Amino acid sequence: MIEELLFIRQEVAPELIAGLWMSIQLIIPSAVCGLLIGIVIGTLRVYGSPGLKGFAGIYVLFFRGFPLLVQLYLWYFGLPRIGIYLSPFAASVIGFSLCSGAYQSEYIRGALQSIRKGQLLAAYSIGFSHTRAIFSILLPQAVRRALPGCGNELIYLIKYSSLAYMVTCIELTGKGSILANFHFKYLEIFIIVGAIYLLLVSVVSVGLNYLEDRIAVPGFDRPKI
Amino acid sequence: MAEKVPVLSVQDVHKQFGDTPVLNGVSLDLFRGDIKVVIGPSGGGKSTLLHCINFLVKMDAGNIYLNDTRIDQSRKRELYAYRQKVGMIFQDFNLFDHLDALHNVMIGLVQVRKLPRSEARQRAEAELERVGLKDHMAKYPAELSGGQKQRVSIARALAMEPEVMLLDEPTSALDPELIGEVHEVIRAMAALGMTMLLVTHEIGFASTLAKEIYFMDGGRILEQGPPQKILFDAEQARTREFCSKIGRLNENSD
Ligand SMILES: Nc1ncnc2c1ncn2[C@@H]1O[C@H](COP(=O)(O)OP(=O)(O)OP(=O)(O)O)[C@@H](O)[C@H]1O
Ligand SMILES: [Mg+2]
Repeated sequence: MIEELLFIRQEVAPELIAGLWMSIQLIIPSAVCGLLIGIVIGTLRVYGSPGLKGFAGIYVLFFRGFPLLVQLYLWYFGLPRIGIYLSPFAASVIGFSLCSGAYQSEYIRGALQSIRKGQLLAAYSIGFSHTRAIFSILLPQAVRRALPGCGNELIYLIKYSSLAYMVTCIELTGKGSILANFHFKYLEIFIIVGAIYLLLVSVVSVGLNYLEDRIAVPGFDRPKI
Repeated sequence: MAEKVPVLSVQDVHKQFGDTPVLNGVSLDLFRGDIKVVIGPSGGGKSTLLHCINFLVKMDAGNIYLNDTRIDQSRKRELYAYRQKVGMIFQDFNLFDHLDALHNVMIGLVQVRKLPRSEARQRAEAELERVGLKDHMAKYPAELSGGQKQRVSIARALAMEPEVMLLDEPTSALDPELIGEVHEVIRAMAALGMTMLLVTHEIGFASTLAKEIYFMDGGRILEQGPPQKILFDAEQARTREFCSKIGRLNENSD
């Protein structure tokens, strides 16, 4: 038993911590870019000119339609064919951001569509331009409404970031696999790896709840019973 | 000396939704200080008319002049400037739901008028005080009564210093006890000489304010004249029929 713990502390922990650090480095930029892409694409789908609407629709079709793993393979193994070489890390972040953006955009689109037309008319009526009305009036409301869905997507992202391993970006799951294969201790190591993801997800959930409360205003809050 | 040029001139506005004609050539003039009231049956095109005047709905044909200048809605800057000059009050208030009363009034001053925040705040506070909401400035729309919401929306429009106000049934979504407070605010605007085009079914209120009443049906102004004439001595049978109906309604609700 003592031996086990020592083994974990000396052989497993440093490796998994390095993996976790890599995972975090993948997740944070992907989450931020994914959300920004989602806001832009979601807004274009509702309020874009016909051409931009079409573009945004096709974007969602492809990035939500292709399996994420296939997308990652394309970025990492496919692009060199046309002379573009991405590092495993870059390929992963790009792949995650674009895919996450497609999902996020659907939450934003739904939230924008749920806003009554009168909000836009009222903004126009006091001299707002179309763009300014979208940014100052519609999006602040839409983001509040979309937050639970967007948070859900963020939690998915934490878990599908493990696919980076498939394009040789060795993050938490990758480290875990290597260790498990090497020491032949699948059960122990994958339980630890799973627990780390669970911890990450829990921390993020708490953060999201806090954020939801922070930006809540009467009429845009969770019913308190 | 009376001014010869109307503040707002609406000329021959046509609009159809799909195959249904809703406005069939509506014209009217508002001179400075005029208060004109539009009445008419539901679906007669009253809201559509006000929306067209503010270019919130694209009209098929017709022209709008502000102080003799034709508004070309394809020139965006002119259009935005025009809309500030023509305040619009909606039947269902349309307050910005994510902003408190103060910021509902401030946002146009800051973002459209580009006033410094402190000045915008002062102006917004003054407007809210004017409509009797000094103590409710930090409340969100979800926390205000209908009458309070409508007063915030009036303050929001007034903050832009409009030359004309268009009011689309400002009290029709309100409980009877809340109508009075909004009427009071409208009366105060009238006393200050605001030019107004008011759509309403509150015929008693309208006739005490209006210089002229337009009766609108089927997308046309069928008849127009001073309140007494339209309400009690209309020429058209259709007008008489409508006025007798709403007359009875208003009596019952009193
Ligand atoms: N966006 C729209 N699309 C299609 N039809 C519309 C639209 N807006 C209004 N209409 C139609 O135009 C007609 C006039 O509507 P409008 O709202 O202008 O009437 P109104 O006189 O304001 O009636 P109310 O007293 O009920 O407010 C109605 O038949 C309505 O169904
Ligand atoms: Mg109407």
